[in-house]
Amino acid sequence: MKKIPTYCNQCYNGPDLFNVVVEDGIARSIEPNPACKDISPAEGKVCVKAYGLLQKMYNPNRIKSPLLRTNPKKGRHEDPGFKEISWDEALAILTEKLKETRGDEGLDEAGFPRLAVIMGQAASPAAYSGTFPALLSAWGPIDYTLGAGQGIKCYHSEHLYGEYWHRCFIAASDTPRCKLLVSFGHNTNASGGAAGVLRHARARDRGYKRIQIEPHLSATATTSDEWVPIRVKTDAAFLYAMVHVLLCEMDRGRSCDVPYLKRRTNSPYLVGPRGYFIRDKRSKSPLVWDLADATAKTHDALDIGDFALEGEYTVSGVEIGPDGQEWEHENVSCKPSFQRLIEFIEQYTPEWAAEICDVPIETIRRIAHEIVENAHIGETIEISGETLPYRPVAITLGKTVNNGPGGYQVCWARTVLTMLIGALEVPGGTIGASQRLNKPHHDRWSSIWPGKDGFMQNSLNPTDAKNWSASPQNRARYEQLLPLVLNTGWSPFLSNYPLAWLTMEDDWENIPRTTLPEVVLLYRANPSISMYFTNLIEEKMAKFPFFACMGYTLDETNHFADLILPDHTDLEGLQLFRIGPSVHSESYWTSYGFALRQPVVEPVVNSMDMTDFSTEVADRVGLLEDYNGAINAGLILGIRLKGDASDHELQAGKKYDTEEIWDRLCKAATMALSDGKEERGLSWFQENGYYAVPYPQIRHYLHPVMVRWGLRYELPYQENIRRVGEELANRLHENDIHWWDDQLVEYQTFPECEDFTKIWEDACRQVGADPADYDFWLVNTRSMQFAWGSNVAVPMMAEAAKRVSGFKGALINRSVAEKLGIKEDDIITIESFHGRVRARAVPREGVRPDTIVFTGQFGHWKTPFARDLGIPNLNVLTDPKTLVMDSGGSLADVVKVRVRKEV
Amino acid sequence: MPRWGMVVDLEKCTGCQTCSVACKVENALGPMTDRVVVVEKEMGTYPNVQRIHIPKRCMHCADPKCVGVCPSGATQQRDDGIVTVDQDMCVGCRYCMMACPYNARVFQAVEQSYHSPPSKWEVQRYKEHTVGVVGKCDFCKSRIDEGLQGGLKPGVDPDATPMCVISCIGTALTFGDLDDPASEVSQLIESRETVQFLPEMQTDPSIYYLPRRR
Repeated sequence: MKKIPTYCNQCYNGPDLFNVVVEDGIARSIEPNPACKDISPAEGKVCVKAYGLLQKMYNPNRIKSPLLRTNPKKGRHEDPGFKEISWDEALAILTEKLKETRGDEGLDEAGFPRLAVIMGQAASPAAYSGTFPALLSAWGPIDYTLGAGQGIKCYHSEHLYGEYWHRCFIAASDTPRCKLLVSFGHNTNASGGAAGVLRHARARDRGYKRIQIEPHLSATATTSDEWVPIRVKTDAAFLYAMVHVLLCEMDRGRSCDVPYLKRRTNSPYLVGPRGYFIRDKRSKSPLVWDLADATAKTHDALDIGDFALEGEYTVSGVEIGPDGQEWEHENVSCKPSFQRLIEFIEQYTPEWAAEICDVPIETIRRIAHEIVENAHIGETIEISGETLPYRPVAITLGKTVNNGPGGYQVCWARTVLTMLIGALEVPGGTIGASQRLNKPHHDRWSSIWPGKDGFMQNSLNPTDAKNWSASPQNRARYEQLLPLVLNTGWSPFLSNYPLAWLTMEDDWENIPRTTLPEVVLLYRANPSISMYFTNLIEEKMAKFPFFACMGYTLDETNHFADLILPDHTDLEGLQLFRIGPSVHSESYWTSYGFALRQPVVEPVVNSMDMTDFSTEVADRVGLLEDYNGAINAGLILGIRLKGDASDHELQAGKKYDTEEIWDRLCKAATMALSDGKEERGLSWFQENGYYAVPYPQIRHYLHPVMVRWGLRYELPYQENIRRVGEELANRLHENDIHWWDDQLVEYQTFPECEDFTKIWEDACRQVGADPADYDFWLVNTRSMQFAWGSNVAVPMMAEAAKRVSGFKGALINRSVAEKLGIKEDDIITIESFHGRVRARAVPREGVRPDTIVFTGQFGHWKTPFARDLGIPNLNVLTDPKTLVMDSGGSLADVVKVRVRKEV
Repeated sequence: MPRWGMVVDLEKCTGCQTCSVACKVENALGPMTDRVVVVEKEMGTYPNVQRIHIPKRCMHCADPKCVGVCPSGATQQRDDGIVTVDQDMCVGCRYCMMACPYNARVFQAVEQSYHSPPSKWEVQRYKEHTVGVVGKCDFCKSRIDEGLQGGLKPGVDPDATPMCVISCIGTALTFGDLDDPASEVSQLIESRETVQFLPEMQTDPSIYYLPRRR
């Protein structure tokens, strides 16, 4: 019996380290890895999904060798006629097609990449795809904007605005120090991984309080101290009302961290008559009012005695608007942005919000007071020898809460509320978990340096006339439409995917017809199930001229493929991957380094390791030099193979075997991490599993680096966002593009709170439907067994999930069900104006009377085992015409439906 | 001689089912043969609702009702309190299932597999158990016994502790010697209000539950 160390990264909380017990040539069982207890936030444990990996690997329904389509007609009801072929044949077909496709710089006549690559499952494919990214890099232009659900079905607004404001791809509570966590639908117990569950369990031991605000009693609400059943997509109103309580009902000297507001935010910046910061005429720096000597000074003047936050002052200066427009003013009345915030938020009372949210007025008011009472304003704590503010209150947001219309508002209000009590990026408060749009991904501190106006540097996609992208090189047009998505490696994955699918082969106003990609490669994704409006996705996929899918089992997407290529499962492949210091969730490590994923037994079927595949394709297509070059340059681990202390570079054009490549990467990584002191090769990792060095815990908080640079968060006033939006409007209107006008409205300095129901109902009327016919909101929730993971074909997961409320069908409020004559397990029809699904009824008390809940994304019709589960999919009910995209390019994961008992 | 027992913190169980699936993998259990289940219970009416998760398994009672009724002697209680079933001696009469007040035993009439035909893993590992007999949680006694032989301490050292306990990501399960006042289980029982299920049955289970605080 042997224990083989490896990692699990089936969801975005990983990697989590564990051991596989191997006996008599069989991977016998899965165990935690206690050796890493002190460095890993999961303490060497893994969640339920990892225990399903053996069943995943040994699943007899796996695709056993490459498959080639024999029926050229593609469609859901067409038999693809797949026949087994050898790997040599499969690679020859693929690489011939790739060579044919490459053309001039890889772009077609319309300027779009000829090759598109679809990857799914949030961040997890990178942990399994070996050197595949190096192959893609070597290829050149690729369209990644046909993705399978990550992006628009994520914490989208938080990704965009979070990174913009505080380098926060996802916001997390500093749970080990937090006293009060207010969670708007953030479902840690289902999607926070082993580390999330563990950290909150320890916090419960400590007596912290968690208030869960969401339309149904989720897995997380079950272990929360309080569940507040809020109406779907009204979270912004609740948050705005709490900001109102702090600013308009409480003593602001007590409810706010005033020194923090004065020094770390744009609260003191004076706003001119046109709504832009009033600036010094010469330096163009924003002005503040110094109460000490009653004069206006630039925000960074060294002699400021006391920043004015409130009041009205007469100053002279200049405002800068879009496209370099300037307005000079002499002795005009200006107010600090904080004063304007107070005036703006006055309208959003708890009484107003209570009606919208269907939550008692006193609940909103009480929670606002609890936030202040627990904030410990003025107190400090010592971390790594430095004294930092201690503000043990955090506010987190869930997925549906912050995608689609209202996402900007929710993120803004949450971050402003956090800012008011000084709890942003300090111990105990709300902190960023990682960054992905900005670099380096694993070190938030290093991405921060001074930018304009006293804020951290941000490089949005250009909106000025000279640099705006009039001819985007991807089908979602993200660099054209989404300034906050930036244009870095992760940007396509945060783009507005539905637009790419919708516009393909379709005529849209004043944009060139979007072409189909000539070749599409798919890895670990099933867009037929996970994207909105599944019918449209199938229709478009059937048109792909050549579609190659890496495949595990037959499924709803590779049903449309020309070629299916079975890759190794998680326990069969070889790969080194980064661990720590933090990832996409609250997985804060005390060390960071690298862990190995390694084959625990011989491959079970005739599948291929992704690095073997990538090297072979690179060789056959003639890309070996660039492929090796990409690996040398650090594309795989962020580590260059040639460092100051060692040289493990791959020779240009030489073909290496997979073990040799990873051995060099192991050595280079450990040398880089140990400052040239220790070199550990592949065999060492195979024995020991991981290599890590301590990570200073203070670096999990941005506050010290903000203080060091003398920077302010670009909060609460969104002057630049407004300017960018106005420039974008100018560019689009100059090109006679008006179909993005609704989105342009959102670029506001203080975003008006939107009525999501009205937005949906207006869209509904536009397509001739009557919103009154649909009386329930349908929302999705997660269960841990299926949160990401791609394990719908693993029977043991479904068996476990059946013990989770709602997994088997549709959760409906028990009293409402009774009125409709619906009992447990009755088959009900759930109908939007676009489609209809059937589901088993699951009447429960823990769901609002106006809400239906589906768990996960199912509705499979091809995947073995999953197709027999009979569990519905929300995506079947969504329609592109009523799913309104927000300015960040995301859609809300909700739809209005009616429910009938089947007779 | 220790008396092995467990404390289950209902405040912290999230119902993730990691323990139940880890148990199935460790013990090579087929479908519908769970030895550990985590059941949900909803209480109250909207909007004042709670849902709790209750991990359930053999209670390893101090006075186990299953032992006396077993005609073949397959069900035994060890000196350390663990109640076991000898698969070679069990005749599948299921008297023990009738006698168990906790519904903690399962009978596997025929070999069942998740896959048809069974996977390579199932073919190999299902050999570890017999069909037509009763199964139940044995606190992973082989881990405890081998761990003790290796000088390890059950409840402290992972390799000597039941799989459900070491796999629990919510720290809801604690294992140890109920007769050792210094053990973590004894300390928890001493310091918190605890519940043993069905006290009226006078079985004195070795599983103690810490109820929810609210």
